[in-house]
Amino acid sequence: MNWRPTGMDLWQLLLTLALAGSSDAFSGSEPTAAILSRASWSLQSVNPGLKTNSSKEPKFTKCRSPERETFSCHWTDAVHHGLKSLGPIQLFYTRRNIQEQTQEWKECPDYVSAGENSCYFNSSFTSVWIPYCIKLTSNGDTVDGKCFSVDEIVQPDPPIALNWTLLNVSLTGIHADIQVRWEAPPNADIQKGWMVLEYELQYKEVNETKWKMMDPILSTSVPVYSLKVDKEYEVRVRSKRRNSRNYGEFSEVLYVTLPQMNQFTCEEDFYFPWLLIIIFGIFGLTVMLFVFLFSKQQRIKMLILPPVPVPKIKGIDPDLLKEGKLEEVNTILAIHDSYKPEFHSDDSWVEFIELDIDEPDEKNEGSDTDRLLSSDHQKSHSNLGVKDGDSGRTSCYEPDILETDFNANNIHEGTSEVAQPQRLKGEADLLCLDQKNQNKPPYHDACPATQQPSVIQAEKNKPQPLPTDGAESTHQAAHIQLSNPSSLANIDFYAQVSDITPAGSVVLSPGQKNKAGMSQCDMHLEMVSLCQEDFIMDNAYFCEADAKKCIPVAPHIKVESHIEPSFNQEDIYITTESLTTTAGRPGTTEHIPGSEMPVPDYTSIHIVQSPQGLILNATALPLPGKEFLSSCGYVSTDQLNKIMP
Amino acid sequence: MNIKGSPWKAGSLLLLLVSNLLLCQNVAPLPICPGGAVRCQVTLRDLFDRAVVLSHYIHNLSSEMFSEFDKQYTHGRGFITRAINSCHTSSLPTPEDKEQAQQMNQKDFLSLIVSILRSWNEPLYHLVTEVRGMEEAPEAILSKAVEIEEQTKRLLEGMELIVSQVHPETKENEIYPVWTGLPSLQMADEESRLSAYYNLLHCLRRDSHKIDNYLKLLKCRIIHNNNC
Repeated sequence: MNWRPTGMDLWQLLLTLALAGSSDAFSGSEPTAAILSRASWSLQSVNPGLKTNSSKEPKFTKCRSPERETFSCHWTDAVHHGLKSLGPIQLFYTRRNIQEQTQEWKECPDYVSAGENSCYFNSSFTSVWIPYCIKLTSNGDTVDGKCFSVDEIVQPDPPIALNWTLLNVSLTGIHADIQVRWEAPPNADIQKGWMVLEYELQYKEVNETKWKMMDPILSTSVPVYSLKVDKEYEVRVRSKRRNSRNYGEFSEVLYVTLPQMNQFTCEEDFYFPWLLIIIFGIFGLTVMLFVFLFSKQQRIKMLILPPVPVPKIKGIDPDLLKEGKLEEVNTILAIHDSYKPEFHSDDSWVEFIELDIDEPDEKNEGSDTDRLLSSDHQKSHSNLGVKDGDSGRTSCYEPDILETDFNANNIHEGTSEVAQPQRLKGEADLLCLDQKNQNKPPYHDACPATQQPSVIQAEKNKPQPLPTDGAESTHQAAHIQLSNPSSLANIDFYAQVSDITPAGSVVLSPGQKNKAGMSQCDMHLEMVSLCQEDFIMDNAYFCEADAKKCIPVAPHIKVESHIEPSFNQEDIYITTESLTTTAGRPGTTEHIPGSEMPVPDYTSIHIVQSPQGLILNATALPLPGKEFLSSCGYVSTDQLNKIMP
Repeated sequence: MNIKGSPWKAGSLLLLLVSNLLLCQNVAPLPICPGGAVRCQVTLRDLFDRAVVLSHYIHNLSSEMFSEFDKQYTHGRGFITRAINSCHTSSLPTPEDKEQAQQMNQKDFLSLIVSILRSWNEPLYHLVTEVRGMEEAPEAILSKAVEIEEQTKRLLEGMELIVSQVHPETKENEIYPVWTGLPSLQMADEESRLSAYYNLLHCLRRDSHKIDNYLKLLKCRIIHNNNC
């Protein structure tokens, strides 16, 4: 021994050995393997001196059983540098079996068959389900130990006799399928069922580095599809037991060279560049889309991205409503009015004032005006010069409206003065109507009510929804009921156009407001009577009071049955209010806006909306600071002017 | 309706059913004879095929259960050395290698397999009960234990059918090793308890492997005449 163990080394070694000796290693009170492992650990780690001098301790490298009938264990040889051999290395094994009371360590039966530094256990020494423990000793000292059962160390041999046959070639002559066959390792007893193997095949082209793997299979032949004809392939197979995870070694590599069938095979496969096409297609579409989106061409933009209709009133900017620019709103609503006959022609709750000159009944009188102003009022609706498409005009009875309206009317160009007194008269007539109908209190609200929802927002700051049914609007009108019945607006229902100015304004001939007003009043009476019966009004216009009165009677005020949706040509004298649309108006009541002043005979046309209607300019309201109060049927030019400077 | 052909029809239908089920290797098959017929017309080959499928499945489950238990509770703590070879079925004369297995006669072999299966009924039942009763019952282990218990019962039924077909004269041999490890499973000391579980699962894995192996041997011997 050339090494001098240090004191510590000796102490550690002695301790370990003492432990090993004191414990009854063979009786099982202390695990043998634990002892062995501890011993080896202590020997290796504690003693650097030992290590350096004998650089390697013999250790078990591998124990393997190829067929579950035999097994062999291998270890590394002890390499001693400058060291005398530690003595022969021996392997002892024991089978831990309760039938054997004592754990005897038996020596390896065969050191030769498995090669150098190995121990071979033939079938007589191998029992599959009994665990073994083996230990390696060198010169009496245990250097390594291991415990296992044979099943854990089973590693089948590789398959043999690989061969392949051609299955078929593709039509193009580029690809081919082959069938690879092999045989199970000969020492694995498949026939008796002692071992059941499954196989894994791997293949690759000769120049490639990565093997392609196939799923494990139980049979000994498998087809390999889609190999390229002009390439050479390598195939290898390995086996493992079905129950375990240990694969055996790979078999020898099988070289597959597929015969070239077609002389004109392409050198390279043409891969249709699907991915490129898709990518470029998407890119191109995106570019086009963005071009369209951001281009100035609104038409194309509309085609691709049609604007989603925002719920809004045509022509009215929602911002206006928010900011309370009611003048613009009102004018716009008036514009709408001209469309009303077209919009709401099929709406049952939109009632229009029908001014049909063609009706035989109305042809009795010479002119509509006369008819309107005559006391024999059959069809009151014809008297209503304004074809109110909207049912949401503000209440004629609204005192503010009436006042402003009257004031506004002062400023209009022309016979405002004439209109005013006429309006006043009308108002008075309306008043009288109210007085007559005082026993029917809700009635007198009908007229303004019908007009209210459309423009009442001006005064009440309540944006009335346009499509309100008649009952609702009349109720609303009731709320906004003008307590002052005297403030009926006297608006001439229609007037004859005498001339059209180059600017587009219409010059109306003076109408007969008084008659209109009275007609109104009379109409109210008539309507009252009518209402009492069935509330089917001949006239498209009735006052709020009428409607209100009739509400309890008939919740649905169906006046539109007699209302023609189209504006008569005579109904040119309209105001913005009259044109404002409120659905469900029980007849478009052309209540005079709450202005004390009579409506002038004519107002200038603000907008020519359709052949059927005209928007008239409103006159400036004399009351500053007062918001434009929508009237029942229309506003005076003053009001219009105020709205639209 | 041909009355004569109805037993053949039933048999062929059952055969179709069984063969279909055998295609799914990892799925627990339906009962062999639905409807509770006394003598099924299923062939011995199909019975063996099905038994092998079941035993293979049970062994896989046992291996997985054991590895999971070991990984979770006892890994690297030297339990293996204590648990080796103290299974309750060690008293049975089971062949330990191929020669011994080949030398065993068929009848004894079948009886042995049935004994092993019977002896595991009770341990499996208690295993499931105890694992289920744990505070934090490991779901994976519990589910596998439940499955093993169920499939073992089925395999036992199948084996009894095979025995009745191969050796109809065999008397019912109710002798089998009794498992007494329940107290050790319920011990308070965690180390001992874990050791008991380890032992039980290790034995289960080993015995299920034995059964699987024996059945494959018998199948090749009886059905394929040693030429699988």
